[in-house]
Amino acid sequence: MSGVKAESADNIAEAKKCSPWYQAAAGSAVVGCVFSLIVAGLLIENHLHIKILDPVRSERLEMMKLQVIEQPDGERLLPEIRRLDLQIRRSRITRQQFSRRGGYLLAGGLVVLFVGLKSAAVFRKRAPAPGPPGDVRARQVREALLARRAVMLGLCVLGAAGLILTIKAGVDFGKAQTAGSSYPGAEEIRKNWHRFRGPGGLGISAHENVPLRFSGKTGEGILWKKPVPLPGNNSPILWEGRVFLSGADEKSRQVYCFDADSGELLWMGEVGAVGGSLGKAVEVMNDTGYAAPTMVTDGRRACAIFATGDIGCFDFDGKKIWQRNLGVPESAYGYASSLEMYRNLVLVQYDQGVAEDEKSRMLALDGFTGQPVWEVKRPVPNSWTSPIVVEIADKPQLITCGEPWVIACEPGGGREIWRAKCVGGDVAPSPIYAGGFVFAIEPYDKLVAIRPDGRGDVTKTHVAWIAEDGIPDICCPLSNGKLIFLLTTEGTLTCYKVSDGGMVWEKDMKAGFKASPSLAGERVYLLSDKGVMVVIEAAAQYKELARSELGEACFASPAFADGRIYIRGAKNLYCIGGGD
Amino acid sequence: MLVGILRYGGLGLLGAAGVYLLKKNPKPRTVWQIDPQVCVACGNCANYCVLEESAVKCTHAFAVCGYCELCSGCFRPDAKELNTGAENQLCPTGAIKRAYVEDPYYEYVIDESLCNGCGKCVKGCNAFGNGSLFLQVRHDRCVNCNECSIAAACPSGAFKRVSAEKPYLLKETHA
Amino acid sequence: MIRFGDAIILGIFSLLVLCASASGIERFPPPDFESGYELPSPTTPSPREDIYQYVDVLVLAGALAVSSYLVLRKRSRRPIFALMVFSLVYFGFWRKGCVCSIGAIQNISLSIFDSGYAVGLVTVAFFLLPLVFTLFFGRTFCAAVCPLGAIQDVVLFKPISVPGWAESSLRLFAYLYLGLAVLFAATGSAFVICRYDPFVSFFRLSGNLNLLILGACLLLVGVFVGRPYCRFVCPYGVILRQLSRVSKWRVSITPDECIKCRLCEDSCPFGAIEKPTVEWPRRNLAKSKSRLALMILLLPVLTAAGGWLASTVGDPLSRMHATVRLADRIYLEQAGQAEGTTDASSAFRATGRELKELYAEAASIQSEFNIGGWAVGGFVGLVIGSKLIRHSLWRRRADYQPDRAGCVACGRCFEYCPREHVRLNKAKEANT
Repeated sequence: MSGVKAESADNIAEAKKCSPWYQAAAGSAVVGCVFSLIVAGLLIENHLHIKILDPVRSERLEMMKLQVIEQPDGERLLPEIRRLDLQIRRSRITRQQFSRRGGYLLAGGLVVLFVGLKSAAVFRKRAPAPGPPGDVRARQVREALLARRAVMLGLCVLGAAGLILTIKAGVDFGKAQTAGSSYPGAEEIRKNWHRFRGPGGLGISAHENVPLRFSGKTGEGILWKKPVPLPGNNSPILWEGRVFLSGADEKSRQVYCFDADSGELLWMGEVGAVGGSLGKAVEVMNDTGYAAPTMVTDGRRACAIFATGDIGCFDFDGKKIWQRNLGVPESAYGYASSLEMYRNLVLVQYDQGVAEDEKSRMLALDGFTGQPVWEVKRPVPNSWTSPIVVEIADKPQLITCGEPWVIACEPGGGREIWRAKCVGGDVAPSPIYAGGFVFAIEPYDKLVAIRPDGRGDVTKTHVAWIAEDGIPDICCPLSNGKLIFLLTTEGTLTCYKVSDGGMVWEKDMKAGFKASPSLAGERVYLLSDKGVMVVIEAAAQYKELARSELGEACFASPAFADGRIYIRGAKNLYCIGGGD
Repeated sequence: MLVGILRYGGLGLLGAAGVYLLKKNPKPRTVWQIDPQVCVACGNCANYCVLEESAVKCTHAFAVCGYCELCSGCFRPDAKELNTGAENQLCPTGAIKRAYVEDPYYEYVIDESLCNGCGKCVKGCNAFGNGSLFLQVRHDRCVNCNECSIAAACPSGAFKRVSAEKPYLLKETHA
Repeated sequence: MIRFGDAIILGIFSLLVLCASASGIERFPPPDFESGYELPSPTTPSPREDIYQYVDVLVLAGALAVSSYLVLRKRSRRPIFALMVFSLVYFGFWRKGCVCSIGAIQNISLSIFDSGYAVGLVTVAFFLLPLVFTLFFGRTFCAAVCPLGAIQDVVLFKPISVPGWAESSLRLFAYLYLGLAVLFAATGSAFVICRYDPFVSFFRLSGNLNLLILGACLLLVGVFVGRPYCRFVCPYGVILRQLSRVSKWRVSITPDECIKCRLCEDSCPFGAIEKPTVEWPRRNLAKSKSRLALMILLLPVLTAAGGWLASTVGDPLSRMHATVRLADRIYLEQAGQAEGTTDASSAFRATGRELKELYAEAASIQSEFNIGGWAVGGFVGLVIGSKLIRHSLWRRRADYQPDRAGCVACGRCFEYCPREHVRLNKAKEANT
């Protein structure tokens, strides 16, 4: 632009000789230029307002809206909020209008500018005057040389750019199939105790070298004993060096992470009250408590759910990744279904109310974000069983129990595989898969063995056998594939043959049991509610191998690791090991 | 001579290319549209359109709407009162107009001139309601760019090219 | 009372948080209206009528024909300028610069490589018509029909000449741009010509601020350097250059014969006038012969090297494709190396699609880029090799003539030629 002004200054002497058209053209060019600059400046200022100032105002408005809800006297902010909101809306409309009109104005100004400049150029035409030719030959040679050099330079620049781009190697997806999996493989899961009753919910330890006996009085065989801040009936879970527990009372819900070797409490996390559990107290039975469901982990994150419907997920360093409230579950005895995980999905069996209300559902949440991935309605009332995911004929099945259906579906998408109508009552013992059968229990009434290779309603076709003696109401069954053991709350231990349901033996243990039995090698571990651990042989005859006293009440099922057993008493967490 | 061969060879090649391209299932003209089943209401539609006022607006499928008194697309989930107070509304521009129909039903209409396509109401309706509010590209505003810049920014890949004869992907009636 | 009601509502809503799928499950039954209320139906305004696109094709053909006539027969800058302004207004501001012949390259590329994508007649017409006209009349499309060329030509006031030797090297970028544009379009990654079109935001009077600034800068440069986009960036121009070399009729500065008066030397703002040459010095002859031989041998080497390099760069380039970017992000999240999630990764997870599927898709796109990289890199290597050969050759030229490939037929040089003045005067005499 200054070029134009300089020329017009230069030519003012000449301009007096040449036509007034030129002056007009130059003048309109200047006018157009100044006008365009002003409009451009205003448009930029307008744009900055939209991009920078308005979002800041909107954020402030959002914060104030939240304050209104959270603070008891928030109403005083209302006039301010409304004023700010109106201001933002007005500003948005006017600024958009200005943008549009300003655009046209700028275009107009530029047109005036360019027409002026063009006309000025036309009126100021000079005759062509090429300079002296110079040494044509030398110039030719020189130009060819420089051109070659320039192309070579271009080549180098492109080559360098290409090489720099290749330095930061990204992921080669042809080979990225198995690397960096976000969920553990079957082997890893098998070696740990990642959910209620371990892998597949079977209660079977992969390690056979677990201790046989210990003494709570002398401390012999007990590696460490640590208090757990808040009580809960959930069983300990463990993954490599860490043991996870949750505990809760009416006011708070907490997750604990203990070091498996030393017992040190590594971290403690709060699962806060979110949304629906605000203000409304949730009532649970004293026996059940607020933290009955056992946690679940996949080696990267640990999730816990509570009777208030709060579910929280922590990473292994104790940072809370996400939490949600799924709504208070209507459960007669208090919500107690433990969590399960399949790949990246956290599976929640949310049975509540009566079947006609159609409130019960099976939910799958994304382990990364807590976002629901799929959910399926369940035609059942409230139940206290936990879901299991087991691999049957190379395909995973998610098996659940609720009155009156045993349902198996695909854990990836929730699509149903089969269902059988064979259980009733207040179902609390969870199903297991052993010896080729899915076992489900109707408390006090029957044990049902179902063949899991059906599709659709298999009630009439796939129930292999039914047993009716010594059926428990709380403890889950245990099987080593040949024999299946049932333990009632009153202490009756019954052993059936898996193949045909024939009873092998039964024994009155003369103790009360809430914890489910577990298996390590050929030994069955029973933990009474007074803290007495009885180890018997998993054989066709009853044979007691050891009996140890913890000295504390126990309602949770133990967790097994390499050479260790972890038991949660009413107040403490015990690590059994290092002795025997 | 060589030049002539090259020229007519080039012409032949262009002709062949033209025939090949046109024989390949010539479709009628296509325009951009959002698939409401895939859209996650992320809010990019309001910001990435090349036009100052985005060509994407919220549409209401009245046949799917539940006509609830507490519309979760209109009101925040923690709204204290069901009025037009700014603190209760989800819509940042006040584009959802609420009218009483009969007890207990209320009608919700979107004022397109105010809607900016941010999708907050869509998120709310999907989360707690019937999902009757959804975003659509309005073809009286859309310039039909060769590459839609909202489509390039859509995180769920909800933008598709649809035939200009059926340019809307609407949600139909109740299932 | 309100508190209790709120709690109920909150409780219900919290339960309903469960049901947040993308499409929305219907939670509330259809209302049963008793007052005779009628459901309104949503409005569905239709897009622009089909007929208008065919009008566009006709206007294009007409403008090409008129432009060719003006450049070759009428030989006068004023009407060419007028037609250029018309094209700028019609194809630029009225049609908002879309669909354009330059962008049509991408649609054609995608259509060739993606069986599910078809281009319409209009796109093919916009792509082919200028090419056909160029084969016969030279770059008359660039002269007065292309709106991008028009907007640059209109702002050219104080042309400074780019040194001849730099011109060739700078133009390498246009070849690279063409290769990349075809590659990205063919793999379905992006239409980069559209995305980075600097002038379309002027035509729309709105758009991304960064592009607007880029466009403004380019136009500012264009005030001094003639048609910078056309000469150094335009990928369609690359094709037009090659076709224009073999065109049947072409622009010539003089209407009949060149008298080597040198008056037209500084008339072309685009450096497209080739001067007459003299024989090279004897002493350089042997050296230049061996240099030429070397360059010819270098050609296949450069082609292969370019192909290999571009193929290796294929992996980073593949990040242009949204699926590969998503797979990257998911991979990082899986491995625990990324904080949180993005909209795209949560949306993907919510669909429940298998990770293996996503990785397989990303892998196939990557291999497309690797193969396509060979083509693009080979092409660019070939071009570099050809340029090196060209600058090692000596062409005999006796007259001042426009560069067959580079001349955009703007018509500025006509009035500098005395022979042209003679023709006009003769014409005037004939008329009187």
